[in-house]
Amino acid sequence: MTTRQAGARPPAWRDVRVLRWVFQLVVFAAVAAVVYWLIDNYRNNTASSGIPTNFEFLTGPSSFDIPGSDFDQNQPVHSAIVVGVLNTIRISVVGVILATALGTLIGIGRLSTNWVVNKLSAVYVEVIRNLPLLVIVVFTFLGVVFQVLPRIENAWKPLDLVVVSNRGIGVPWYHGNSGGLLLLLAIFGAFGWWLIARWRRIVSERTGEPPRSGFIGAMFLVLTFIIGWVILGFGVTLPEVDGRQIVGGIRIDPSYFAVLIALVIYTASHIAEIVRGSIQAVPKGQGEAASALALSPFQRMWNVVLPQAMRIAIPPLGNQYLNLIKNSSLGAGFAYIELTSVTQITVGNGSPAVPAFALALAFYVVLSLVTSALVNVVNRRFALVER
Amino acid sequence: MRASKSLVTVAALMLMLGACTQDADTTTTTAGLEEPSGATTSTSAGTGSTATTAPSEEPAAGGLLAEVIARDELNCGTRDELPGFAVLTAEGDHVGFDADFCRVIAAAVLGDASKVNFVDLATEDRFTALQSGQIDVLVRNTTWTAVRDGSEGATFLQPTFYDGQGMMVASDSGFANVSEMDGVIVCVATGTTTEGNAATEATRLGVEWEVRPFDSPDLIQEAFLAGTCDGWSSDVSQLTALRSVYPDGPETLTILPQVFSKEPLAPAVRDGDSEWAQAVSWAILATIQAEEFGITSESVDDTLASTEDIGILRFLGAEFETAEGTTVLDPDLGLPVDFAYQVVSQVGNYGEIFEAHLAPLGLERGVNALWTDGGLLYAPPYR
Repeated sequence: MTTRQAGARPPAWRDVRVLRWVFQLVVFAAVAAVVYWLIDNYRNNTASSGIPTNFEFLTGPSSFDIPGSDFDQNQPVHSAIVVGVLNTIRISVVGVILATALGTLIGIGRLSTNWVVNKLSAVYVEVIRNLPLLVIVVFTFLGVVFQVLPRIENAWKPLDLVVVSNRGIGVPWYHGNSGGLLLLLAIFGAFGWWLIARWRRIVSERTGEPPRSGFIGAMFLVLTFIIGWVILGFGVTLPEVDGRQIVGGIRIDPSYFAVLIALVIYTASHIAEIVRGSIQAVPKGQGEAASALALSPFQRMWNVVLPQAMRIAIPPLGNQYLNLIKNSSLGAGFAYIELTSVTQITVGNGSPAVPAFALALAFYVVLSLVTSALVNVVNRRFALVER
Repeated sequence: MRASKSLVTVAALMLMLGACTQDADTTTTTAGLEEPSGATTSTSAGTGSTATTAPSEEPAAGGLLAEVIARDELNCGTRDELPGFAVLTAEGDHVGFDADFCRVIAAAVLGDASKVNFVDLATEDRFTALQSGQIDVLVRNTTWTAVRDGSEGATFLQPTFYDGQGMMVASDSGFANVSEMDGVIVCVATGTTTEGNAATEATRLGVEWEVRPFDSPDLIQEAFLAGTCDGWSSDVSQLTALRSVYPDGPETLTILPQVFSKEPLAPAVRDGDSEWAQAVSWAILATIQAEEFGITSESVDDTLASTEDIGILRFLGAEFETAEGTTVLDPDLGLPVDFAYQVVSQVGNYGEIFEAHLAPLGLERGVNALWTDGGLLYAPPYR
């Protein structure tokens, strides 16, 4: 029997510092072994059945058209994937904007003192939040788009400005090469709006009259477009029905419409809860102080409560935006040709599945990371600076 | 900070992917092929042995044939929603032309047509299922093309049905010819040769078609009923089948006479196992040969008892007289000597299968008649 001296190190197999390292190495080795085993299986299996594992398929002809774009079957697979990514972005950006607007309205509605508004908002949130998204898409696609919207023969043409049918919704759009001019007018109008906002704020601070910069700025923008239309004469085309098609204007694809509506309805129900929670997290005294200053209920919400609530809401909102982007892959089942859909079609046409889907995964990861980076930037910009 | 960290992770992931794709063609190590069905037994080596050999090399024993026999069940890739070819009934049976050819293969290999495990596959998943070994054979109205033979790792065998792509329109649409259809929406199923064929045909005719791909025939039917498609393009056999169950009645749809592609629908097996490929091929050829001999599932026993025809006796694996005494023909395909008898007695000959499933849809034999009747069905001699 020996007595250990104080301060001596225990043997290595009982030394917690050593064991900690050994344990981490074992876990790492196990994970690496499993990954290696999977990759090795994949290599062997593909080699034994002669399936390519590289990305050469990207330069081959795609052999399918993409409706709603100029893409035709002689273009290579990588162009098809680009169209798919753009379509994913198209539905995501519009979806995020609409879902935020609808979700905020319903979130405010849940706190309304108006009984009907309050209960309607609550029912909306509780029903939609508890439905699977796929069911909502099936409903908007088979139910709303196919059954509610009229057939092309009896399309709705309110004021002959818009054509609504289950083959798509036509809205007026600028003509051919007026795009650059339109962009110029938009930039000019936005710059004017910004100047007006600055001017009105100075006036408001000096005289105390309400700035109303939003209203005056918007009027200026509209005026810019009207002047641009009358004087510069940029062309506008109106949609109309020609036989079985909608020509002129720009056509909103029925699949796009169905999937977009479903994404907006679903995501808005989650955003509404975030907005409600954030508003409730704003100290009550803020709203009471606003009321004490005789601000109208709208001013109280718009100028005092919402700006503080949105600051709290930004991080969880970012999560919902990521969900919406990823959920847009449901379009693949409903003839909306986005990233997942393009990948499925090209795999069905002979592209190797693993590289093709690896590419799709990478694109989704990049889209998500870019989105969360943007949300982080916004969050940092608006976060309270603690002193 | 967090975003940049994740970016590094992604970059590392991409590097790994790149690395493994570079090595994949050159390295073959000894790790076995995974068998997702989990059906390998201790006696069968599984397909693991094929992984260690070069793809072109013929695996002797322990190929898929031995594995299927050891498992005593055939995993047959099919579908559950195409009338005439394969539908799942309320009783849970698969009924149809393709389903019967699954049974033909099971009868030939295992001696029992009921030993089939039907694996229902979506169109875009079918080759992945074949490549991964989830199914032994794909009998799912699949068109044989060069690219599929080459880059999908599939080997196509004797076609069971010679088809072609056509166009179906509403009877009241007034279209009588494909070339009259300009500025229309044509709905097709995704992941098939159909989309490419439709786009090519539109270019050839100089007309504008918007080809809209859908996931399943059910969705196309909904789209068609709602009036969002002008044309429905697919293989004529499929169109006939889908028309027969159209909710508004078959007479409200018309299949235009033009056929604008060749679609030989053939069963497919995985590349690199020619023993299994031959076994499947001969099982299917047996149905054609049986029809040529005039042997049906009802007459096969009588024929066997009464015939003196050496050709038929050889074919059915019965004993026949030669100079050296009685013998049976065993062509050494790895199949039981009486496989053709099992196929014909348990399932039937080609004509019987066609009459049972495709004729009721209104399909004619057409090019799918025997060569003796001016069709394309021709079995190599069984000797």
